[in-house]
Amino acid sequence: MIVGAGASGAAAALVLAEAGLRVVCLEQGGWLDQRAAPSLEAGWERALQTTFHINPNIRRLPSDYPVVEADTPIHPALYTGVGGSTLRWGAHFPRMRPADFRARTLDGVGEDWPLAYQDLEPFYDRVDEITGVAGLHGDPANPPRQAARQRPLPLGPGPTRLAAAFDRLGWHWWPSDAAVLTEARAADQRSACNLCGPCGVGCPLHARASADTAWWPRALAAGAELRTHARVLRIERGRVLYMRGAELRAQPARAIVLAASGLGTPRLLLASGLGGWATGRHLMHHPTAVITGLFEESLDGHKGPFACALYSQEFIEDDPARGFRRGYQMQALRGGGPVQTALGGYMARLPWGRGHHAAFKATFGHSVSLTVTAEDPPDAENRVTLDAAVTDSDGLPAPRLSYRLDANARTMLDHGIARATEALREAGATRVMVNPLVAAAGFHFLGTTRMGADPRSSVVDDACRVHDAPEVVVVDGGVFVTAGAVNPTPTIQAIALRAATLLAARLKGGTA
Amino acid sequence: MTTPLAALLDTLLPGDADWPAAGTLEGVVEQVAADAAPAPLLAALPAGFATADAESREAALRALEAAEPAAFERLVVAAYLAYYTHDPVRAVLERLTGYAAHPPQPLGYELPPFDESLLETQRKRAPFWRDA
Repeated sequence: MIVGAGASGAAAALVLAEAGLRVVCLEQGGWLDQRAAPSLEAGWERALQTTFHINPNIRRLPSDYPVVEADTPIHPALYTGVGGSTLRWGAHFPRMRPADFRARTLDGVGEDWPLAYQDLEPFYDRVDEITGVAGLHGDPANPPRQAARQRPLPLGPGPTRLAAAFDRLGWHWWPSDAAVLTEARAADQRSACNLCGPCGVGCPLHARASADTAWWPRALAAGAELRTHARVLRIERGRVLYMRGAELRAQPARAIVLAASGLGTPRLLLASGLGGWATGRHLMHHPTAVITGLFEESLDGHKGPFACALYSQEFIEDDPARGFRRGYQMQALRGGGPVQTALGGYMARLPWGRGHHAAFKATFGHSVSLTVTAEDPPDAENRVTLDAAVTDSDGLPAPRLSYRLDANARTMLDHGIARATEALREAGATRVMVNPLVAAAGFHFLGTTRMGADPRSSVVDDACRVHDAPEVVVVDGGVFVTAGAVNPTPTIQAIALRAATLLAARLKGGTA
Repeated sequence: MTTPLAALLDTLLPGDADWPAAGTLEGVVEQVAADAAPAPLLAALPAGFATADAESREAALRALEAAEPAAFERLVVAAYLAYYTHDPVRAVLERLTGYAAHPPQPLGYELPPFDESLLETQRKRAPFWRDA
């Protein structure tokens, strides 16, 4: 039994089904027909404000659950349905680095993971092979990859200026690893990217990978069963209780794999009285600043996947001389469409009134941005709890986010803002705007069911088994011990493949 | 006769030599009314708003924005959304910027392929990731 059909649930389903086990996955949302994505319609930007809004409290689709966000400066950004948040993502696909798993040993801060990069490496490679990754081997900031790469995405004028600026500053940059096909895969019925831009409203070409298009067809072909519009209410020993429509059902299971994200999984464990003290604690985001440069010349920013061009890991390794510990990544963002431009994107909305048209003309097509993605430390007081008053449509208590930005992360973001400003000025920006903490950047929920050997301070062991319920396995981002400073999906899926492989061996050996 | 909502939209997004005024565009007033439920804001406008000069209308809206920031923001978002998805506005956009007045798909766009010679400097750098 798997709960959740997003990136990690799909990966686990594939492994378990390939092992010949009976697999049933329950997903609270339905299938999204990406072949009919809003980007085919003239009013496509309306979707970003409505049915594809990143915040479930604003989107309010029947499959969504409310999230109480009164006590956090970083607000939820997620999607529900077959594919989960990969339906709404930008597909930037970096790996964590070996040192990210040994922060305590190497740098004396954070925690060590109970597994190493080398333990995940073969699973990373399989993730890349199934997903289809555009990029280029040889990045000096990262270990060599074994998995093949399709040719990198084009940079376009804005990121090309940034690349030259990074070179002049003597800083690292490299073309993004992107979960986007640049060469068609006929066997998977996936076409090559045509650089339309808004990956976040779905990809009618299936070029941008998402779990529903890149993973579920394989898992279903291997024999997995997927039940949509099935919302799990509670985990019990040997079964789960769930709603399908108005009907309460029970599904017996030898093993239960939780893949409902680092927000949904602790919610279920808390509602079920499982996991112990650490459940929901140590919530880590990737605190993000965005720095946007305006240029005199047009940069064609609407062309190409908005989140995938290049990144810089010049400041990702620990260097206490910088005034903070651990590090951050900078990632280029292309421009947006007209509505997004008018609404400011990650910046302040453009002014209304007589100055509006001039402001729009100076901005639209003339911007390129850098994100600063900071490593967030594990803090037991940053957490997901169950709200006492708010429930979803089936009566399950809503998750409540309680989060404070760490002082080290703030210092790190400020360092990154200064460096990104320097890079944009070097690239020729005539004006630079700063959003010092993106409120809508709650897209990575990590650490809330973290791995460890000690049940008093962790929720799962190194095989992702819940300490006080070893038949329950967690495979989503909640198991992260530290957050690293890169987008987590490849790591989440590598962990899911590994945990599912270990689970399959136990189930087939009769030891689970 | 100009309605209060049309006058409000003309104040948010006024016309000029290139751009049409928002309140004059077919369907925009109705779309904003449906998206933003602006009746309470409209009720708070001063008498004669619809026939006042541009400066007076702008001053009235600044006061309204200060008094009702959340509702006013919803209205502005709805106005920008309706305006920039409207066909005549997209035609202006194409004429002024070259941004094609058609949806991103199915045509997509073209860019020159990635030029690996850009990495000449980076390829000279020794690996700097830490093994662990």
